[in-house]
Amino acid sequence: MHDMRGSKSRVAASFLSRASTIAPPGYDRFQVPPTALAVHLSIGQAYALSIFYLPLTRIIGITHSAPGDWRLADVGGILTVAIAVLGLSAATFARWVEQAGPRLSMLVAAVCFGSGFIVAAIGVHYHLLWLLYLGYGVIGGCGLGIGYISPVSVLIQWFSDRPGMASGMALAGFPGGALIAAPLSVLLMNHFRTAISNGVLESFVTMGVMYFMFMMIGVYAVRVPADDLKPAGTSPGSAPSQSQVAIDAAWRTPQFWLLWGVLGTLATSGIGVLEQVSRLIAQILDGRVTPSADAGFAGLISLCSMLGGFLWASASDIIGRRKSFTILFALAILLNWALPWSARLHSTAPFVAAFSVLFSLYGGGFTTIVAYVRDVFGSMHVGAIHGRLLTAWSVAAILGPALFGFIRDYAIDAGVAKAQAYTVAFPGLSLLLLIGLVCNLCMRPVSEKYHHRETAPSSRGQHS
Amino acid sequence: MKARLVILWVAVSAPLLWGVFRALLNAMQLFH
Repeated sequence: MHDMRGSKSRVAASFLSRASTIAPPGYDRFQVPPTALAVHLSIGQAYALSIFYLPLTRIIGITHSAPGDWRLADVGGILTVAIAVLGLSAATFARWVEQAGPRLSMLVAAVCFGSGFIVAAIGVHYHLLWLLYLGYGVIGGCGLGIGYISPVSVLIQWFSDRPGMASGMALAGFPGGALIAAPLSVLLMNHFRTAISNGVLESFVTMGVMYFMFMMIGVYAVRVPADDLKPAGTSPGSAPSQSQVAIDAAWRTPQFWLLWGVLGTLATSGIGVLEQVSRLIAQILDGRVTPSADAGFAGLISLCSMLGGFLWASASDIIGRRKSFTILFALAILLNWALPWSARLHSTAPFVAAFSVLFSLYGGGFTTIVAYVRDVFGSMHVGAIHGRLLTAWSVAAILGPALFGFIRDYAIDAGVAKAQAYTVAFPGLSLLLLIGLVCNLCMRPVSEKYHHRETAPSSRGQHS
Repeated sequence: MKARLVILWVAVSAPLLWGVFRALLNAMQLFH
């Protein structure tokens, strides 16, 4: 009996080991992006979580908020906690993810993300707010963080000739996940709605199981390249010869903090625009904000982030990372000025055009940064260094709303009409992006004193 | 090998295409 149990656990351990994921000769590398997408399309659900906010305030009253129901302000912080935990867990588990390999880390991400939903559902059942935060925010947040970085290294290894395109293919799945989750959440809540339930609890359980199973596609199918692999389409001399920087040395370099500044300013201003956009929409539609218009803008945000994520990252392989970010920041600064101006025209088309391009830039920044990390620090610990960089996203998630709340209050105190307060926030956003642009322009190659000494082309998968 | 490639891509892109379709439908209402 003990022998059977022992052999079963050995089989499981062997299936999850990095060695068992090594691709056989002749393996088509285009089988790898769908495994990364399976994870990112799932965890991207986080960006559609706000759909549940209003129903969560009607758990007791079902059709309306009853005494004892949670307020919108009570549940509104779940996503902030989840994104903060995303960055923290990505940074904490970055080294482990590199060592454990993609299969085990994707499995852990799937278990955390799926069980996060189940714990949140128990929180809904017993009407315990802290359980909701613990489930979706903390446990689910760990799933978000580990899942976000788990396919990064693998894709960079497979597509070392096109790291931008590789990171674009995987990380663009995150906003893509919101595109799926938004209609799915509505569909499930409508399906499970009864006289005694508004369907949130049942939807959480269903989504937990569904996302766990969808992420298992990645767990099952992911493969790492053998050490002697040369990516198809590259000659031995075509990959740039790179200096490698280990994770422990990377964060001591000024380049790490410059990249942190690039990502941090981009993430904070993205959150800032999202905060202001609902007010702009109200103005452009003369207050006639219908649920379908809101859903239209929410879908556009995800769609443009996804397309921009893939296109900008792919283009950066041709025009270079530093130049890509310079163009990206310059356009974002211009569009932040143009957005409130286009809203004043009371015409939908210019506003939607400015809005769409702006969100493609934010999506592009998040995906291209991975290839930037690889260019600056080499591919040895690219996933782990990127994981540590995601703390910038955590800080943006917490500080962003507070910062723009402060700017808005300051503008109202200074005599600006409440409905027009966003006009002050946008120059603030541009200033923030200007700091990001300067960080990018200051980027130089890493000093040799930080280079990894025993660097060899076959250092893939080995860690100091 | 080819079949596996097709199955994987179809499995992940089918829900995504559904989401894109729904988002485009909603976005079109902005211009009405």
